[in-house]
Parts: sequence; C-alpha cells; structure tokens
Amino acid sequence: MTLSIWDNVLYMPGDVIAAWILMLLIGPILLLWLFKTKKWPIVWEYMRTTNHRKIGTMNVLFGFLFFLRGGVDALLMRTQLAVPENNFWLFQGDKYNEVFSTHGTMMIFFAAMPLLIGLMNIVVPLQIGAGDLAFPFLNAVSFWMFLAGGMLFNMAFFLDSSPNAGWTAYTPLSTDTYTQTEGNDYYIFALQVSGLGTTLTAVNMIVTILRHRAPGMKLNRMPLFPWATLVTSFLILVAFPVLTIALSLLMFDRLFDTSFFSGEAGNPVYWQHLFWIFGHPEVYILALPAFGIFSDVISTFSRKKVFGYTAMVLSLCLIGFLGFMVWAHHMFTVGLGPMANTFFAITTMMIAIPTGIKVFNWLFTMRNGVVRFTVPMLFALAFIPTFVMGGVTGVMLSVAAADMQFHDTHFVVAHFHYTIIGSTILGIFAGIYYWYPKITGRLLDRRLGLWHLGLFITGFHLTFFIMHITGLNGMPRRTYTYQWGENLFVFNFISTIGAFLMGVGMAVFVWNIIRTWRSGNHAEADPWQGRTLEWSVPSPSPEHPFTQMPVIDQRDAFWYAKQEKRRLLIQKQPRPSPIAVKTIQPLCIGLILLLLSLAMIYQWWILAVLSSVLVLAMFLLRTWRDERIKTIREEVTDE
Amino acid sequence: MSKQVQALFLDKKMGFFIYLIVEGIMFAVLFATYIVYTPSYSGPKPQDVYSVPSVLLASVCLLSSSATLLLAEKGLSSRSMLFIRSGMAATFSLGAIFLFLEINEYYSYATEGYTFTANNFLSSFYILTGLHAVHVLFGLLWMVVLTLQSFRHLPYALYLEKQKIFHYYWHFVDVVWLFIICVVYIPYIV
Repeated sequence: MTLSIWDNVLYMPGDVIAAWILMLLIGPILLLWLFKTKKWPIVWEYMRTTNHRKIGTMNVLFGFLFFLRGGVDALLMRTQLAVPENNFWLFQGDKYNEVFSTHGTMMIFFAAMPLLIGLMNIVVPLQIGAGDLAFPFLNAVSFWMFLAGGMLFNMAFFLDSSPNAGWTAYTPLSTDTYTQTEGNDYYIFALQVSGLGTTLTAVNMIVTILRHRAPGMKLNRMPLFPWATLVTSFLILVAFPVLTIALSLLMFDRLFDTSFFSGEAGNPVYWQHLFWIFGHPEVYILALPAFGIFSDVISTFSRKKVFGYTAMVLSLCLIGFLGFMVWAHHMFTVGLGPMANTFFAITTMMIAIPTGIKVFNWLFTMRNGVVRFTVPMLFALAFIPTFVMGGVTGVMLSVAAADMQFHDTHFVVAHFHYTIIGSTILGIFAGIYYWYPKITGRLLDRRLGLWHLGLFITGFHLTFFIMHITGLNGMPRRTYTYQWGENLFVFNFISTIGAFLMGVGMAVFVWNIIRTWRSGNHAEADPWQGRTLEWSVPSPSPEHPFTQMPVIDQRDAFWYAKQEKRRLLIQKQPRPSPIAVKTIQPLCIGLILLLLSLAMIYQWWILAVLSSVLVLAMFLLRTWRDERIKTIREEVTDE
Repeated sequence: MSKQVQALFLDKKMGFFIYLIVEGIMFAVLFATYIVYTPSYSGPKPQDVYSVPSVLLASVCLLSSSATLLLAEKGLSSRSMLFIRSGMAATFSLGAIFLFLEINEYYSYATEGYTFTANNFLSSFYILTGLHAVHVLFGLLWMVVLTLQSFRHLPYALYLEKQKIFHYYWHFVDVVWLFIICVVYIPYIV
C-alpha cells in the first residue's frame, strides 16, 4: 500500500498497517481499562520491583505475549504454504523471509528464553529456600534489558524493517552488501541487549544456587529443577558471550565497513562457527530447564522420588558438556572435511546416551508409582514420546553422509520443532499449570487445561510429523512456495490444519487464564501434595517467604516430614537474605539501552554518545545510592 | 566486618568473579578472531605496523599499575586512608599514561595509513585492543568515583568492599594485557 503524505510517497505493506491499526485500537482500550479499574498503583509497583516472583511473572507475561506474536507469524507462513503456488496476502518473496526470520528469533530469544527464565525466577529461590535471588537489583536490570530487546525487535516490524536473513543471520547474506535495510541491525541490537540481560541472569542464578540454599540443603539434596537451572546457567555463561562478540563483529561489518564476514578477505564460515558455538548450547539452554521441570512434575504426580537421582544430575552435566562439542553438525554441508564431520557426528550421537538415561529414569520414576493424571503430568506424558521422536531424528541427522540429503529441508524443521516444542514449550506449559498457584494463588481450570493439551498436541503432531515426509520428498525450508505435481500438496494442507489447531489450543489457554483470573479457585499452600520446599510457603508466595528457615535433612525433606506428620526443624539464625529495594533505575537502564540501540541502528551519533554517557551515569547513580549504606548503618546502630 | 556483611560481600565477590569469566570468554573470542585473520592475505602486515618502544612503555606502565594497587590494598587492611589514596593515585596515573600511549599508538598507526578498515588483521587488532582500552578507561573512571566515595562517610566495611571489587577488576584488565602482549605483539616483533 502506498500512502502519499504531502509530497512524499510512503510505501507500507498491508500487514504492517493492519498491525498499526490493531495496536491503535488495543492501546487506548488497555489504558482506559487501567484507569477504570484503578490498576496504576500495581503497574507502578511492578515497574519498581526487585522481587523474584514479580520479575519472574513479568518475564512469563511478556514472554507469552511474544510467543503469541511468533505464533501468528507461524500461522501466516502455514497459510502461505497451504496450497501450491499460493499468493496469500503479501507473504511471498522477501516478505516471507521476514516472517520466518522473525518467527525463529522471536520464539527462541523472546519467547522460550524469558518463559524459562521467568519460571526459574519464580520457583528456584522457593525450591532451595532462598529469600530472593542473590542480586535483586541486577535481576530487575536483566528483565528490563530483555524487555528493551524484545520491544526493539518488535519495533522493527512496525517500522517495516524486519530482519530477513533467518534467525541464524548467516553471512554474507546478513551483511550490508546484501541486506541494506535496517532489519538486520535491529536483529543485532535486540539480541545484544536481551542477550546481556540473559548473561546477567545466569550470574545471578549461579550465585543464588551456590550460596543461598537453606541450611542442610546440600547440592545432592537439591530438586532437579534448580540443578537444571545451575547447569543451564553455566551454559549461558559460556555460550552468550560468544554471541555477544559475534554480533559485535557483524555490527562492525554492517555499520563500520569492516569485512570480517564478506568481501574478498572475509570469511563467512567464521560467522557460522561463532553462531553455532553459541547456537548449539542454546538448544540445551532451552531443553535442560524443561527436563528439570518434568523431573519435578513426574516425581510429584507419581508419589515417588526421582528414579536414579545421581544419574539424572550427571546426565544433565554431561549433556551440558557435550553440548559444546557438537556445533559443527549444523555445518556438515559446508565442507569442513571428513575428519571434522566424523568427529562432530560421533559427539552428536554420544548426546543420545545421557538423554536416553534421562528418558528411562522418567519412565522408571512412574513405574509402580501412584500416577495422578493432572494437566501438568499429562503434558509431561506427552513430552516423553514427542521428545524421543525428536531425538531419534536427531541421531538420523547426525549421520553426516545422510545429512547431505536432509540439510535445509522440512525434515530439519520437523526435527527441531519436535525437540524444542516437545521439551521446552511443553515443559513451560507443564510448569505454568504446576506452579500457577505459587504465581497467582489460583489453580488453572482442569477441563480447559485438557482441551488446551489435546488441541495443542494433536495440532502439533499433525503439523510437524507430516514435515518429515515433505522434507524427505525434498521440500526445502525457508522457501515460500512449491509446485503442483510435486506430491506435496496434501501433506502441506494437513500441516496447515494442524497449525491452526495449535492456534485454537492457545486460544483455549488464554481463555483459561482469563477465566481463572476472574473466578478461579483459590489455591492452598500445597494443592498438588508436593515434595519440594516451594509448597511449604503460602500461595501466592509472599515477599519474604522463609521468615522461618527450614532445615533440610534429606532429599524431598518437605514430603517426608509431611508423611511422618512432623514439621521441619527451624534454623534460628539463617544467613542474611538479599536486600529488597524499590527502584525505578532498572527500568531507566532498559529505556536508555533502547535509545542507544536506536541511535546506533539509525547512526545518530550524537544521540548514541549521549545515551552512552547516560548509561555510565546510571552506574554512578547505582553505586552512589547503594541500598547497603543504609542497612549496614542500621545494623551498626543495632549493635 | 560482621558475619552478615561478610556473607553479602562473598555473594558479590562470587558474582563478580563469574562476571569476569564472562569477560574472559569475550576476550577469548576476540583473540580467536585475531588469530584467524592475522596475517591477512593483503594489506599491511603486523611486522610493519607494530612499533616496539611504544608497546614496551605502555606495558611497563600498565603492569606496574597492578603493583601500585597492592599499596592501596595494604592500606585497606591497615585502614590507612593515606596509603589507599596514594596507591590509587599512582595506579590512576600509570593507567592514564597507558591510555595516552595507547591512543597515541592508534593515532600514529592511522596517520601511517594503517586504519581500522585497511584489512581484517587491523580491524581485529583495533577491536581487541580497543575493547581492552575501553576497560582501562572504565577502570580510570571507577577510580575517580572510588576516590570521591572516600570523602563521603560510608561505612568502612562497604568502602572496603567497593575497593576490593575494583582491585579484582583492575588485575583482570592487567592479565588480559599480558595475553595481548603474548598473542598480539610477541609473535610479530620478536
């Protein structure tokens, strides 16, 4: 659509205009609703909070919004692919490239990551008996950095400059020689800002888990979700800095005329190495926390302790470790030579071993257990076969010779959706249903939950199982059309129906949340007869959950104490909790970084310098008004 | 330091060390980048670019600044503000001289035509040493703030904490410079 504004002719694609209109409708309605229901104090409270549950809730909330946006992108793609030689709206050619690039980036960085980090934030401190995360202020900074990145990434779409080089942004396509618009600059800065936030979260999680456990909770008494969080945090620690530098180098290529990845002297394969040294651990960063959630859920709803606890922990560590030695299996077709391909094929196959151990241990946890088919448990049950299928196709793909055939086809698309949706997304749903009482104090509706589960799982297998077949028939990924007579039509059509079923499932989930919020059952402290410490505190969890610090004498201590009808011993003088503050500074840091990113993207150098100075000023403000000045003074006068 | 204050300090210390690991990995990737692209197929060669005296002088300044910082550390344990301030002042001057020499080095390279975009060797050289120089600059600003803080009446335990965290940072920046000498300069000037 072209608009003529005075003398300028402005081109805007129809989908962007539609999105603007939608936003201009929703925005005022939302504001009006906030005014009418007098919600501003709550909004202001959340803007200044450093409490782990509140920050975690915001992570989940915005992660879910971005998840819906990524889902809409998926539906647009599936509609375009429904029939051969289709011309749906304007999603062909470069527009299609933008949609799949946005979908991938959005889902990985702005949906899956914050949803998992949100659950970690809410649950991990409660499970290990910590008052809060070790650095509450830093935690708030991490969240606002994620949100700044997410907003930036969405702004790109509204300004009609979505990135279009795939979520992997392979060079030289993503350099300014081939994609001149700002799209991939938005990609760089959105990932940079939110990635730094994620790195800081990892630092926070490690210190919390290593130093803030309840007395008696040795590492080998910790539930498996904190364990998974710990291993994941170490993966983030190593993987994300690599991405940070890779993105910086790409930024220098795009904005400052270097030629690391393109031109005669450049080396495009170096980008692939850097990206996948980050990217493959990232896959396990997404999967391991979900494994942790499933371990807790399966154990709770089988009324049994986790089978083979030590093996579970060791395989988490082993998967994490091997995760760094497999990155080149994404690059089998690059031509690294038979030695490299063999090495990476074998390490990739080896990952199946610890993963297999985990699958069997989940099955053995259920064996002879008193299994209750609650919604989170059903999600866990759906996860096991789904993920095993993803694992099996993974082993198929790891055969370097066969990968020449599979590479860049819908077979790969099927594989990674089976693993990522199978583990991460199902894990997140299981976690949300399971811990919803701890977040909001209410239980989600079971009947609607079953509908959500049924529609989502059916739709999922319809969509993606078929893609194995179309992939083997040679349908390439990231291509917006195909021909009649290629034996692809029926498969693709079914796939599209499946995608819309998943969409309906999500609508049911949203309805479930709205209904529960309006008239849900209030949950007691321990609605599931849980085994771990988070169920010993009220629902929703209070700001200072462990005013009486329990002493942990064994694994699942809370459960065994309940069984023996005794209370856990109380430690009189626990270690000090982190200091909670209310401050607007983290939000300001997020805003300033957003401004800085925009200045860099559009090369407004004066604004860039100004906002960099502001960032430094925020450091100064922080150290100058350190909340510990006050607390230490109070402590001294107490003595 | 009471037990409570000590516990929170140890949290911060562990967090900061983990953060330094993150920084270490970032520098490691930049070292890898430098090794991948040096020497480049075309354009200036590192042998022609580097000037030994300037690098040597800068190294002496930065490495000895870690030693003068030990003076301030001594002052911390004996609660002597004189030692702390003079140690910081010496460290600051040496760091500032280093930064001046570094900028001077960039300037003379650039005037000789060895600019940022001349080839990939120079790009990776400037990004790696530039990131390090930015760390030195940040450290200098940090020292200014710490000195200003010393005139406020902060609880001593807290001031000690802030000092210590800075010391870890400064020594880390020094260690990175050692690696830069070994990886960036020595293979091409010896």
